[in-house]
Amino acid sequence: MAETKEKKTPRYAMVIDLRRCIGCHSCSVACKSENDVPLSVFRSWVKIIEKGQYPNVSRSFLPSLCNNCEKPICVQNCPTQASYQREDGIVMVDPHRCIACKYCIASCPYDVRFVNPIKRIVQKCYFCEHRVDQGIAPACVVTCLGHARIFGNIKDPDSEISKLLATNPVQVLKPDMATKPHVFYIAADLEVMDPMKGRE
Amino acid sequence: MDVNVVYNTPYEMPLGYWIATYFYLTGLSAGSFVISVLSTLGGKTEFKPLGRIGALMAPILLVLAPSTLIVDLEQPLRFWHLFLYLNPKSPITYGSFLLTAYPINGIIYAYYLFTGRDKLAKRLGIIGIPLAIATHGYTGFILALGKGRALWSTALMPTLFIVSAMVSGFAMMIVLAAIRNKYFYGKMNPEQREADKTLICQLGTYLAFAILFDLFLVFNDILVLLTSTEEALRVAKLILFGDFSLEFVFVELIIGGLVPLVILLSPKFNKALGNTVFASLLTLLGVYSMRVVVVIAGQSLPLH
Repeated sequence: MAETKEKKTPRYAMVIDLRRCIGCHSCSVACKSENDVPLSVFRSWVKIIEKGQYPNVSRSFLPSLCNNCEKPICVQNCPTQASYQREDGIVMVDPHRCIACKYCIASCPYDVRFVNPIKRIVQKCYFCEHRVDQGIAPACVVTCLGHARIFGNIKDPDSEISKLLATNPVQVLKPDMATKPHVFYIAADLEVMDPMKGRE
Repeated sequence: MDVNVVYNTPYEMPLGYWIATYFYLTGLSAGSFVISVLSTLGGKTEFKPLGRIGALMAPILLVLAPSTLIVDLEQPLRFWHLFLYLNPKSPITYGSFLLTAYPINGIIYAYYLFTGRDKLAKRLGIIGIPLAIATHGYTGFILALGKGRALWSTALMPTLFIVSAMVSGFAMMIVLAAIRNKYFYGKMNPEQREADKTLICQLGTYLAFAILFDLFLVFNDILVLLTSTEEALRVAKLILFGDFSLEFVFVELIIGGLVPLVILLSPKFNKALGNTVFASLLTLLGVYSMRVVVVIAGQSLPLH
């Protein structure tokens, strides 16, 4: 019985295939519109860098969002249990319970959380949980014109995401933080994943 | 490799001066409470006035401190969620209870001390010392569990906070004892004047040792930061040579550490009351600077 229940509960994750990303920011726009994200804050965005010297140059993209980690430090540190993790792995913030002490923002190694300047509570990407609950993929995934974003259940070996994870070299951001991020990148560039590169 | 960032989202700091001030106030409170209890337990009559000053200051500061925390919340009217929906894994939860228990204990302790019931005061004092240390130590855990920030996530942080709390607490007690000395100077006989002066200078020696220990911990911290991860190296460079070198090297280490240490330990300077008070004021400034550097420099490196 326990095994069947284990199989029934999905574990959602996202793969971002950077070989297909063209850096068009459609995902950022779709996210803003879908989730009513105010000016000056972002749930999902695309970092872009240029590297090299002419004529040997290239651009790298890093679509960024909450990693909905397996071991989220934000959930551990939230003093009011406003941050919690659903059984399917999505890390949520209860808008009625959050006191906006901002400790989760300070703890997150990926800086994906923010204080909503209008509602005055902490928010972040929830993998569009309202859509996922209806069986639809997140807005950024549906809108991505290169099909660079793939969302799905990694517990199902037949899902597209499981196949991609099984057949490609993948990486996550800051694996040394022991948070076990669940946004996986294919062909992410080292320089774009380094927060300090280009800022020194 | 030349790298240019073409586009990225802005990076903001979640915690600011309110939090640094909160750490400073709890530190002062814990330090003064510990001195108060030690002087009550010590049994020497010349330490008695110190016991009273400390007993008064500890709860006053500990009423101010949590109010800075509530002001810092974006939803201050929801502060009661901390008690009703508490998460036992969060260090802030330890804080909610410590910040309630410790001032209550401190107020009862002060009441017994001022009404002359020394035996009861001693008992509450003994309960209060671990509470005071925990109240400041947990703030170190808050930072230490912020694992995304290289400057914070060190096992040294709680100890560093407790020791710097003692430094600032001792320094504040010296300043207050000196004010008391000035105020009551006319009413004291020469013998009492001498005793009061010796007492303050003796506190100065304790302060010097606390500063020494504090500097030793900071030295260890920096040394390890310089040789561990990439982020640690970057934050160490930031506070040693970068934007925070004025606050860290000049104010915290030199003005707030080495200069008071020289004044307090050299037999040439440490006999005069004025010098001891001056050194204490510098120390108080240095510890505030330390809080600011830890909280704000700790968040100054972008994470994405």
